[in-house]
Amino acid sequence: MDPLEQLVAQIVGLSDTDIPRLLGILKASDDLLRADWTRLSSVLSQLDPFKHSLGFLYILEASTAGPTTKEQAETVVPIITSFIDACAAEQIRSIPDKFISLCKRFKDQVVLLETPIRGVAPMLAALKKLQTSTEHLTPLHPEFLMLCLLAKCYKTGLSILEDDIFEVDQPKDLFLYCYYGGMICIGQKHFQKALELLHIVVTAPMSTMNAIAVEAYKKYILVSLIRHGQFSTSLPKYASSTAQRNLKSFCQPYIELANTYGTGKIEGLETYVQSNAETFESDNNFGLVKQVVSSNYKRNIQRLTQTYLTLSLQDIANTVKLNGPKEAEMHVLQMIQDGEIYATINQKDGMVRFLEDPEQYKTCEMIEHIDSSIQRIMALSKKLTVMDERISCDQAYLSKVGRERPRYDMDDFDTVPTKFTI
Amino acid sequence: MEGDDETSGPMIDEIYANGGDDGNRNRRPISSGDQLDIEAYASLYTGRTKIARLLFIADHCEKNSTMELEALRMAYDEIKKGENTQLLREVVQKIDGRLGPNYGMDAAWCSTVDRRAEQRKEKLENELNAYKTNLIKESIRMGYNDFGDFYYAHGQLGDAFKNYVRTRDYCTTSKHIIHMCMSAILVSIEMGQFTHVTSYVSKAEQTPEALDQITGAKLRCAAGLANLEAKKYKLAARKFLETAPELGSNYNDVIAPQDVATYGGLCALATFDRAELKNKVIDNHVFRNFLELVPEVRELINDFYSSHYASCLEYLGNLKTNLLLDIHLHDHVETLYDQIRHKALIQYTHPFVSVDLRMMANAFKTTIAGLEKELEALITDNQIQARIDSHNKILYARHADQRNATFQRVLESGREFDRDVRSMLLRSNLIKHDYNLKTSRKL
Amino acid sequence: MNYSTISSALASQSYDKIADICDNLMLQVAAEGVSYQDEWPYAIHLLGHIYVDDINSARFIWKSIPSSIKENKLEVVAAWKIGQKLWTRDYGGVHEAIRGFDWSQELNGLVAAYSELYTKKMFQLLLSAYSTISIQDTAVFLGMTEDDATSYVLQQGWAVDPASRMLTVKKQPIVTEQKVDPGKLQRLTEYVFHLEH
Repeated sequence: MDPLEQLVAQIVGLSDTDIPRLLGILKASDDLLRADWTRLSSVLSQLDPFKHSLGFLYILEASTAGPTTKEQAETVVPIITSFIDACAAEQIRSIPDKFISLCKRFKDQVVLLETPIRGVAPMLAALKKLQTSTEHLTPLHPEFLMLCLLAKCYKTGLSILEDDIFEVDQPKDLFLYCYYGGMICIGQKHFQKALELLHIVVTAPMSTMNAIAVEAYKKYILVSLIRHGQFSTSLPKYASSTAQRNLKSFCQPYIELANTYGTGKIEGLETYVQSNAETFESDNNFGLVKQVVSSNYKRNIQRLTQTYLTLSLQDIANTVKLNGPKEAEMHVLQMIQDGEIYATINQKDGMVRFLEDPEQYKTCEMIEHIDSSIQRIMALSKKLTVMDERISCDQAYLSKVGRERPRYDMDDFDTVPTKFTI
Repeated sequence: MEGDDETSGPMIDEIYANGGDDGNRNRRPISSGDQLDIEAYASLYTGRTKIARLLFIADHCEKNSTMELEALRMAYDEIKKGENTQLLREVVQKIDGRLGPNYGMDAAWCSTVDRRAEQRKEKLENELNAYKTNLIKESIRMGYNDFGDFYYAHGQLGDAFKNYVRTRDYCTTSKHIIHMCMSAILVSIEMGQFTHVTSYVSKAEQTPEALDQITGAKLRCAAGLANLEAKKYKLAARKFLETAPELGSNYNDVIAPQDVATYGGLCALATFDRAELKNKVIDNHVFRNFLELVPEVRELINDFYSSHYASCLEYLGNLKTNLLLDIHLHDHVETLYDQIRHKALIQYTHPFVSVDLRMMANAFKTTIAGLEKELEALITDNQIQARIDSHNKILYARHADQRNATFQRVLESGREFDRDVRSMLLRSNLIKHDYNLKTSRKL
Repeated sequence: MNYSTISSALASQSYDKIADICDNLMLQVAAEGVSYQDEWPYAIHLLGHIYVDDINSARFIWKSIPSSIKENKLEVVAAWKIGQKLWTRDYGGVHEAIRGFDWSQELNGLVAAYSELYTKKMFQLLLSAYSTISIQDTAVFLGMTEDDATSYVLQQGWAVDPASRMLTVKKQPIVTEQKVDPGKLQRLTEYVFHLEH
């Protein structure tokens, strides 16, 4: 019997009964598949993508290895699409690397075909099948987000960013996930979430500087200014020493932008932006920088609300450097519309009256909100405690700590297991 | 929600004239910007500080050449009484013949003084060497001290300082140590080395024997000056306020009692709160003696305390030109004045629910627009808790709603905690997998 | 291509669902490899996003539309015009963009519903942002003639000063549910208990 035929027979025979054994056989068949790759696509028709997911995956992955032309991609993309749609999650999870490699190739092909949107839905389906829980970040997450960015499906990308991620396979996945995620949130103007994601990149453990962190830091600076009107150059102490030492020097024009912003003087800011436009443009950050500039007006108006109860539109225009009361009125109006200030405009007198935040923290809605926050935080605390306990019992951790600080007081040894020896 | 302008109605009643009405007060007329009487001023000092102060005035009284020449003339006369030929040369250069032949270069005097100095120096050297060979401690101390005096008289301050400090190893009594410290302080003040001043003041204060009143007072003044230079105005105020009246004119070669009143009074005004101002300045019987010497400062402090800000500011305004000619206060006048004005503004608004800006501007002798800008800065800085009703020109006190603020803070810390814990869990997972070291290199 | 979900949403006037339906359907047909762009109801898709106030998404859709379609389909361009006016906060321009095109039968309902919604939103904005406002500006914001706008706001209790041609806004008391469900109180008590022990 032809070895390929034989393999197909084994796949059909074992898929229901003995996945581990089938996996062993498949792993040993790499050479065979590589040698016979021209026949692979015809063999696939004998297999059912759902029932024989594992074997199907192996053969499909092997058949798509190597460089692809546009024409080939045109035929392969639909096959992979329907496989992702049909395959059984448990089976593909037994050999995630193959599945990931197949999906990454799929992404390359839809990009090659210049139709990234074709990959969005399948990639989402693929990552859902691959992940063991919503807390699990798969290597397909960044691929999915990248397709969303390319296809301009920002809103779709947002859907997976809502999940809290705790488990990560590869740090690079996390870096890219957070970076792309940050860009998607920026596109949808979810600045708070964007900050959070970019912050993770900047403060993540890293032993050498990487380009993702640098780009993330640039965007982090800009979004901080837009969202909070300020930026603090000091990183939290848990950030890696690599980041502490080097990040700033890579982002000098941005740090200076933040300093200029801090003075609250719009002319200075605009001049600075103009003279550094090329830098920002080459970083593809010019759009964000423009938002930074316009947020400076808002920041200055917001500052006035802290000081004045009423102020004429003319005075606002003078202080904030706008062209006349009508422009000031439009700025104030937009800020009221966006909930950024509380105020009423009195057109008759040309005055604005600034009001306090009307929130009284008495509504059912607010109580509901507080309640759910408490619940969330309690759940998180619990998670933290569990993690803490797990780490304090982790042998690798204990022996590392023990090696680094060998001269412990004898009392300290009481708390660790007896097998702990140096 | 009420109409725009209604809220101001009922509160108007609570506005009182705050310090604006001075009509029936008995007060001495404020002399407007008297030109400094240099002669009277200089008569307060002796020795090097007199010369230094005169020269400082000459250098800083821009555009007023009468004053400049007057100061230079007196400095010239004073220098001639001493032995500092270098200084004479400098002053002559500054005078530049403008005071006639009597105030030209006196080469004969210089060479006489210099020759005498050479001889004196030689003599001192011989004496000191003799003492050294004989190892008589007290004589060596005297020898170094004489050297210190010698160099000081000739304006070689660095050498003077070195020699005074050298006496230290030969001091046998507290008195000696104090003498050494006082000399070191004197030279350091002239050199502008105020860190030395501080350290020798504390050295002197640490001697086991109780200090006599005069020395104690001198040390307070020296410490006050050092703190003033270091911009520690509150500490400076304390030191000057602690100065005993025994100081009198005993420290004329450094500071006059009038200075104690001015320096101490202004620093206190700029940095003390109301209670401190009352307890430590106004009710301070000892300090009152000093204040009597400078009635303007006494008056302006009283005006400030009794909320007569207009009058207080007017006094300050009149004093300013002369204070800017003071060798020690010069650099600090603007800062102290700003702080005093800010405190006055803050104090003025403090007791009220609402304040009429027109009245307030009047009390502070400024325009409403200018006042708004000043208040804006203070509110932004959170020094005044109020908001400006620019439409009706009223300042309203703002009472933060504790309950809402608490809710806001709670929700904010909740959000922060949420975010921090999540990223912490994530980071610890990254580290735990031990990927970070090995794989980030491949990135 | 099967657009039945979209048409039924339009038919049942579930306009707020249009955006999601379109998004999903688009990803689905794209994944199937169908060349959908020439036939895709971009105008509906754009208006769907605009209807739920998601101008960002509308903008990204617009950016992804092939230029040949932007050139040929006037209705798509007209739909984006509304989005553009919203993007630049040209409050009056939105009304003009709505009125400035003869919408097809299919879109008429959606556009009319949006127009009504937008007018209401503008009224709410004026209500919250102004204490007095000129009749002229009110008319621009509400997209009406000055007379219509005046009578519209007078019905809401506003007052008009004919001399200055100014309207005084009457604020409406905001009614919010403040009654607390006892279960919530119970839970809060438990939290406090939890913290204390």
